[in-house]
Amino acid sequence: MDYTLQCGVVWKAWPELAHGALVTIELTVLCMLLGLAFGTLLAVAKLSQRRALGLLSQCWVEIARNTPALLQVYLAYFGLGAFGIHLDPWWAVLLAVTFNSAGYLTEILRGGLLAVSPQQRAAALSLGMRSWQAYGYVILPQVLRIVFLPVMNQLVWTLLATSLGMIIGLNDLAGETAIQQSLTFRPFEFYTVAALLYYLIAKSMIVTAQASGRRLFRY
Amino acid sequence: MIEIEDVHKSYGKLEVLKGVSMSVQRGEVVVLIGASGSGKSTLLQCINGLESIESGRILVDGTDVHAPSTDINELRRRIGIVFQSFNVFPHYTVLENVALAPRIVLGLTRQQARERARDHIAKVGLSEKLDVFPSKLSGGQQQRLAIARALAMNPDYMLCDEITSALDPELVNEVLDTLRMLSRDGMTMIVVTHEIPFAREVADRVVFFDSGTVCESGPPDEVIGNPRNERTRQFLGKML
Amino acid sequence: MAAVPFFSAFSLNDLMFMAQGAAKTLLLTLWSGLLGTVVGVVVGWIRSTRAPVVSQLLGVYIDVIRTVPLIIQFIVVNSGASILGAPLTPFGTGILVLSFYMGGFVAEVVTAGIHAVSDTLRKAGRSLGLSYWKDVRYIVLPLSLRAVFPAWIGLLLGLMKDSSLIAVVGYIELLRASQIIINRTEQPLQVLLGAGAFYFVMSFAASRYAASLERRWQF
Repeated sequence: MDYTLQCGVVWKAWPELAHGALVTIELTVLCMLLGLAFGTLLAVAKLSQRRALGLLSQCWVEIARNTPALLQVYLAYFGLGAFGIHLDPWWAVLLAVTFNSAGYLTEILRGGLLAVSPQQRAAALSLGMRSWQAYGYVILPQVLRIVFLPVMNQLVWTLLATSLGMIIGLNDLAGETAIQQSLTFRPFEFYTVAALLYYLIAKSMIVTAQASGRRLFRY
Repeated sequence: MIEIEDVHKSYGKLEVLKGVSMSVQRGEVVVLIGASGSGKSTLLQCINGLESIESGRILVDGTDVHAPSTDINELRRRIGIVFQSFNVFPHYTVLENVALAPRIVLGLTRQQARERARDHIAKVGLSEKLDVFPSKLSGGQQQRLAIARALAMNPDYMLCDEITSALDPELVNEVLDTLRMLSRDGMTMIVVTHEIPFAREVADRVVFFDSGTVCESGPPDEVIGNPRNERTRQFLGKML
Repeated sequence: MAAVPFFSAFSLNDLMFMAQGAAKTLLLTLWSGLLGTVVGVVVGWIRSTRAPVVSQLLGVYIDVIRTVPLIIQFIVVNSGASILGAPLTPFGTGILVLSFYMGGFVAEVVTAGIHAVSDTLRKAGRSLGLSYWKDVRYIVLPLSLRAVFPAWIGLLLGLMKDSSLIAVVGYIELLRASQIIINRTEQPLQVLLGAGAFYFVMSFAASRYAASLERRWQF
């Protein structure tokens, strides 16, 4: 083969790639936080007595989990255009990946809520606690420990999903990589480095999460 | 005083309480005995409003437990309940378990709540375990923790629902000792138990439950020592 | 939206184009699903034996495959193959990458399925005089399959959704076909909803089937 690997060009593009990585991390964190918020609401809705809420929640979950994430990104970016709403790639990815993550997180959280014995709630209420106190001080902390591992997996999944933004022109890590490699015609070197960076970011997130987990769950 | 007037309760089609009437005066220790499924645990959970009733009334110091206008949270502060399966909070230490409700329900400061907690933990004999998590405690210790947690709210009444049934035999006595101490201190208690000798020793009154109704009621020496009712005799024959 | 009838901009050609895209999606999914399953079974079985060095190395492969965005994997393999002087067609890249991607996930499921057959059951079998291979055939295999099948369907469905990313190396499956039509007809919503319906119906039906099997096989 008559090709010389030139990793130097990747090194020169370091500032742009770093900026892209920051965008990626920022989007991932936001999508996860929003996904958890919506996921909690949807999980509670599903477990509630009111059928309408449960149905709404179920629809969200089924659509999010049975269609490709890329389709959801397209719907946010192109589809909303039919209604006159033209989102920035960043907002489209935020919307789509949050929608997607929330769908998966709902099932995880629902499983967690069901796993905490209803007797814990009975004990809390018997002490005179109001419903919100029972949830806040007794039930949710226990749910947190149960769902920790699946939620961490979802975090990695969300990180990888943000790379879809590259297709609609987002300037995240994948997007910056695309731009830079098109300037130098070195796709292999650039994307291999990008792969490495994604791997490192994912692993650091997991290590951080595990460390906080050990501190939170000393019992 | 707690007054239970002709209470009926069903789970779907199954009627579990079929017209139960009894009353408990302040300072009394009433022990409920009877076969499993006879409705004793259900009755206890109706008294503090965890379960609803189909008809009848339960009055605690004159307040109707199931009336819509009743502030059930306020009522529950006056009634302490201990369950068969302990239900201690696994994510809090012993001290935190007991101090939690006084702080967030009664509004004590963290300092005050912890002091009160320490007192009650000492009463049940768990002082060396203040910063231990329940997973490291034995069953008997967890149950004593549950008792301390309920007592920390300074309830007027204590309901004990077969609190020794889930324990290994050698751990039962430490819990019964705690109950003995409570009764000596004058706590009004309704105790559901299978421990017949204990019932005879501690109770002011024994009530025998059979298929959702009160079958026989009276002083322990009568009900246990010399039962009038045939079913009571059969039940005790199996237990002793 | 305009008062013009919903599907006015579409010709029969467009629908044919979409249908071809859908067929390609299915083709890609089925082939890489098959190959990926073969890879996954082999890898999963090796890992279940806990053989020293090999298990760790395979573990790294699985870890990397699941922590790097699929888009980037496609591009790295595609450009890498060109460098090595053996350029792949888009379809070839898709099959190669998706097979190993699927293989990684299948391997984990297979390992778990094998371990799910409790050791006591296997000891009972061996005590009755069954050889290692008979033990596998009559005890481990039937029980593992039941544990693994619903999860495997889930992975296959995930593969179908992920196949939409192959567009990034130029393969025109359903979602890419959709994008092309959107550019031409400026009717993003209808196209995306149509494509979405395809994915949804296939995925929803298959996962409901898997769930009913799981229920029937509860033991």
